[in-house]
Amino acid sequence: MAKLILLLLKCILLCGTVYAVFEDQVGKFDWRQQYVGKVRFCHFDAHMQSSKKVLLATESNVFAALNTRTGEVLWRHVDKTGPEGNIDAFLQNGQDAVLVVGNGRFLRSWETNIGGLNWEAVLDSGSFQSACLIGQQGTVKNVAVLKKTAISLHYLSNGHQKWIENLPDSDTVDYQTVYSGGNSEVYVLGVVPHSHIAIVAFSGDDGEILQQSSVEAPWLSSIPESCQMVDQDLLICVDSTTMSLYTLDLKLQLQLNQIPLQSLELEVDPDFRPSLVSHQPNPAKQPRSEFFLQLAPDHYVLLQFNNGQLVVLRDFKPALLVSFATTGEKTVAAVMSPKNKTASSINLFNAETGRRLLDTTLIFTMDPNGGKPEKLNVQAFLKKDDSVGYRVMVQTKDHTLTFLQQPGRVLWTREEALSDVLTMEMVDLPLTGTQAELEGEFGKKTAIQDGLMSMVFKRLSSQLILLQAWVAHLWKLFYDARKPRSQVKNDISMENLSRDEFNLQKMMVMVTASGKLFGIDSKTGGILWKHYLENIPSNAAFKLMVQRTTAHFPHPPQCTLLIKDKDTGLASLHVFNPIYGKMSHVSPPALPQPILQSLMLPFMDQDYAKVLLLIDDQYKVSAFPSTKYVLQQLQEMASSIFFFLVDSNQGRLSGYRLRTDLSTEQIWEVALPTETQKIVSVKGKKPNEHVHSQGRVMGDRSVLYKYLNPNLLAVVTESTDLHQERSFVGIILIDGVTGRIIHEAVQRKARGPVHVVHSENWVVYEYWSTKSRRNEFSVIELYEGMELYNSTAFSSLDRPLVPQVLQQSYIFPSSISTMEATLTEKGITSRHLLIGLPSGGILSLPKMFLDPRRPEMASEQSREENLIPYAPELMIRTEWFVNYNQTVSRVRGIYTAPSGLESTCLVVAYGLDIYHTRVYPSKQFDVLKDDYDYMLISSVLLALFFATMISKRLAEVKLLNRAWR
Amino acid sequence: PSRDSALLTPHPCLQVSGASQSSESRKNSDPGPGAAAATPLGGDRFKIEGRAIVPGVKAQDWVSTARVLVDGEDYVGFLRTDGGFSVNDVPSGSYVVEVVTPSYRFEPVRVDITSKGKMRARMVNYIKTSEVIRQPYPLQIRSSGPHSYFMKRETWGWTDFLMNPMVMMMVLPLLIIVLLPKVVNTNDPEMRKEMEQSMNMLNPNPELPDVSELMTKLFSGSKGSSKASSSKGTRPAVKRR
Repeated sequence: MAKLILLLLKCILLCGTVYAVFEDQVGKFDWRQQYVGKVRFCHFDAHMQSSKKVLLATESNVFAALNTRTGEVLWRHVDKTGPEGNIDAFLQNGQDAVLVVGNGRFLRSWETNIGGLNWEAVLDSGSFQSACLIGQQGTVKNVAVLKKTAISLHYLSNGHQKWIENLPDSDTVDYQTVYSGGNSEVYVLGVVPHSHIAIVAFSGDDGEILQQSSVEAPWLSSIPESCQMVDQDLLICVDSTTMSLYTLDLKLQLQLNQIPLQSLELEVDPDFRPSLVSHQPNPAKQPRSEFFLQLAPDHYVLLQFNNGQLVVLRDFKPALLVSFATTGEKTVAAVMSPKNKTASSINLFNAETGRRLLDTTLIFTMDPNGGKPEKLNVQAFLKKDDSVGYRVMVQTKDHTLTFLQQPGRVLWTREEALSDVLTMEMVDLPLTGTQAELEGEFGKKTAIQDGLMSMVFKRLSSQLILLQAWVAHLWKLFYDARKPRSQVKNDISMENLSRDEFNLQKMMVMVTASGKLFGIDSKTGGILWKHYLENIPSNAAFKLMVQRTTAHFPHPPQCTLLIKDKDTGLASLHVFNPIYGKMSHVSPPALPQPILQSLMLPFMDQDYAKVLLLIDDQYKVSAFPSTKYVLQQLQEMASSIFFFLVDSNQGRLSGYRLRTDLSTEQIWEVALPTETQKIVSVKGKKPNEHVHSQGRVMGDRSVLYKYLNPNLLAVVTESTDLHQERSFVGIILIDGVTGRIIHEAVQRKARGPVHVVHSENWVVYEYWSTKSRRNEFSVIELYEGMELYNSTAFSSLDRPLVPQVLQQSYIFPSSISTMEATLTEKGITSRHLLIGLPSGGILSLPKMFLDPRRPEMASEQSREENLIPYAPELMIRTEWFVNYNQTVSRVRGIYTAPSGLESTCLVVAYGLDIYHTRVYPSKQFDVLKDDYDYMLISSVLLALFFATMISKRLAEVKLLNRAWR
Repeated sequence: PSRDSALLTPHPCLQVSGASQSSESRKNSDPGPGAAAATPLGGDRFKIEGRAIVPGVKAQDWVSTARVLVDGEDYVGFLRTDGGFSVNDVPSGSYVVEVVTPSYRFEPVRVDITSKGKMRARMVNYIKTSEVIRQPYPLQIRSSGPHSYFMKRETWGWTDFLMNPMVMMMVLPLLIIVLLPKVVNTNDPEMRKEMEQSMNMLNPNPELPDVSELMTKLFSGSKGSSKASSSKGTRPAVKRR
């Protein structure tokens, strides 16, 4: 019976805390954007004339099909990150796509119509060099994969290996390319750098070596970089030192035939490595005899082999990009040439003659805040009158895909840089003009001097403005209501950008790995501004800080991005307005020294910008902004400014104090022996976090006070020994000011990756238990005890008592990608953990399940405290997924921000996709729910009203009757 | 609050670099649990095979959104157009294999691979990890239906209102008060005797005061009401007399 009661209680509790999405809320305040990453290979689905598909293989190890009409993802397959999922080659044959993945480890064939796998074959180890389709008598049946030491042929129908042959002299020859010209021979080309080219011809049927030879080529170092196949088995190479083209007939294999570029009246730009672009429209047939030769960054020449003679068809200068495309029997060359600063034109040329095709000009307008075009992908098609029409997909340096059709209409753009968001912030939107006017009325000091009458007038006029705005709003509502719903668009533009009533709509400032910054409206997901920062080092680390919020009208809000090169440590600052994306007129200081640490101080300069401190490798501190006022303030506060540095290579944590002359002084150091363990992460608390209650009320009405140290750091270490019996995960809680170790815990037989959330008085971390082969959560909570030492202020320097530490661990039935805690304005709402799962779900797990005070047996007191009895396994319920079926692939981070409503927390999950939603950890207690039944309440009210009227009347009648009796 | 409180912010540049470096190096050097550290690639690597079935749905309609995850994202496999899958290049060890798709629910399965490549599939039990409930291998994973992501809205209907226990508790006694005097003639002495008898039968223990008290109250009430006619409900009885 007791058990039953317990169960019932548990059920009630669970139901009480369940947060879930209702079906009618789908898409109401959440949105998702799916990305694929920077495109490496691109093929237009050409096996059907009416196809609307483009297949992309990307550097993020994603293989996807996009709808060319809308740019939406039709299907997408996300492989493992890292080199094991790397897509090495992409070959298309009809409706099948063949991919070589993981440095030649896997060969996969995809059915592109439904997006399913046809087959997957495991190849022998060896580093991948090249792959090509092998055609015979006009049909393609095999695929050849060239590795460093061997070549293998596979059937396209099932992936089975046809034959595999070792390559001769593979220890000296660097085999680089495989080629087939439509007959059964397979040529493998290798190079001994600065010596000769090695050519091996295999029979496509059984792998027999038909021919083997070497040709002197002392100038050649890499075949893919300087050579291409054209015409009938003709290898053509270009060399910049001898200023010549070299041709070699693979069939005859006699010697290289040198054609000096001067004989063609061409000249290579000095310091430019010339390259070739050729085209093989059908793998079962020989390549085209036309090819492009690039002589300078903006100079291309279209050449043709005509009966053994090289002919210059056309000279393109200036030309940014070129590309070939084939439809039916026609092959065209597309050339993009710059028109003016912001636009380029693309034209089609007949590949055979070099003649320009009429009416094929397409204007591509370049985004001034974007990157330069990088690649041109042309989808050519035959029009009804048999002329060639085309659409192009332009790839630019900032990873943007733009799909255009004539005469320059943009069908869609995709910002693939957003597939790699590194960090983000949410900034409040500014007030509207009217709101600002109202604020200004109270804010300005001059208003007081104006006198009473003018103030009254101001008051009245602002009320009038408000009334006007309200009427306009009503009118718009009325106007929109008459239109069909599909037509009503919530167009958000820079003009009508303003804060809403509950501050639910914010500006998301996102920093991507490519160096492109985005400003995204959190309500619709529309990109409001973008800014491409050029010359970002490839391994840069970013830190985004909000220096001034929108609250200080008329000062514009200000964000500062710290960009740091991870290798050299050198950093630079980019200061911008987060609402409009414009660069600020404030010039950031030059940072000649490597930067070790940066911190935002809570005090502001006279322009309400928070002060940013930067510590360089000489332990000198510089401030930004560094006005006289700020420096003076810093001197006053120097004694209370502390910071810490982490050196994970040396296993050292050290604390420093600021001196008044802006030099620093080391005050503590904690060394962790690097032989046994290394620091993997250090987590502090969020500076904008509020804790509402100082303690927890126990069942016996006493109070257990929380240990709320804002300077507490959670340091996670992992053992260097990875043997499953000896590996461990350590967690150390250190006070960042004094260096005092508050608590230390070691999880034996455990290994990372460790995910940590540190908030309020608790630390939750997740690790892999090697002993039980499962993921486990552990929670540490810190309490001061039944009495608070100094309840008015917390100081790390004066805290003699060691906090009580409670810890409990749980089993979690899935691995996790990332973890974050919800955040609300005042911290009254109960906390949930948002857990990104590899399956793409974002689980909202109530913190109350991770509570070290969960008792083993429920008692009267624990029940009164709403403690759930301990159960070892935490559940994953799909009802708790905040993103229902809108899965987010490869969640890298979850950003939480408070809104103006205490009940509501804004959540952005980013990774390959971006998903935004609102969560209500304690349900919507401060606003009416959106399913609030207005009908019921009004009908009940009306009914009661009439009932009172009638009963009043009846009572009167009765009284009258009684009086008569 | 004290001044040193908020002056401390961790620096992600430093931390991130440390964290990412170490996690990468760990991944590279760790071939997975149970595998010999010096396993050459392609030496002791095995293949997990199976088939996922959604009853009543063609595989073509859902395989494009599905993946097979082995121990999180440590190894990834894709589904073929017929619903079959194989995850290649897995070293020996014990793994949890899961078919993941946003539309359908599949139970995870634990697969053990010995160093010689013998396979065994069993139920996942995270609490008793050594417990073995065998499952077929090659895996046959059958979907148990679509995921339920949504809560039902609490809709308001008359039946909900009426079936509410509070309302029932209020309405039923009211009905008894109103109807009982009509149906049973309480003035009939025989009837009263019979009722008392049945009451005693039901309630042989006189020490339980609750129910008997209630009954007596009820009877006295109805008697009293016949005289005083204060209760609205008994008025018809009065009129009839």
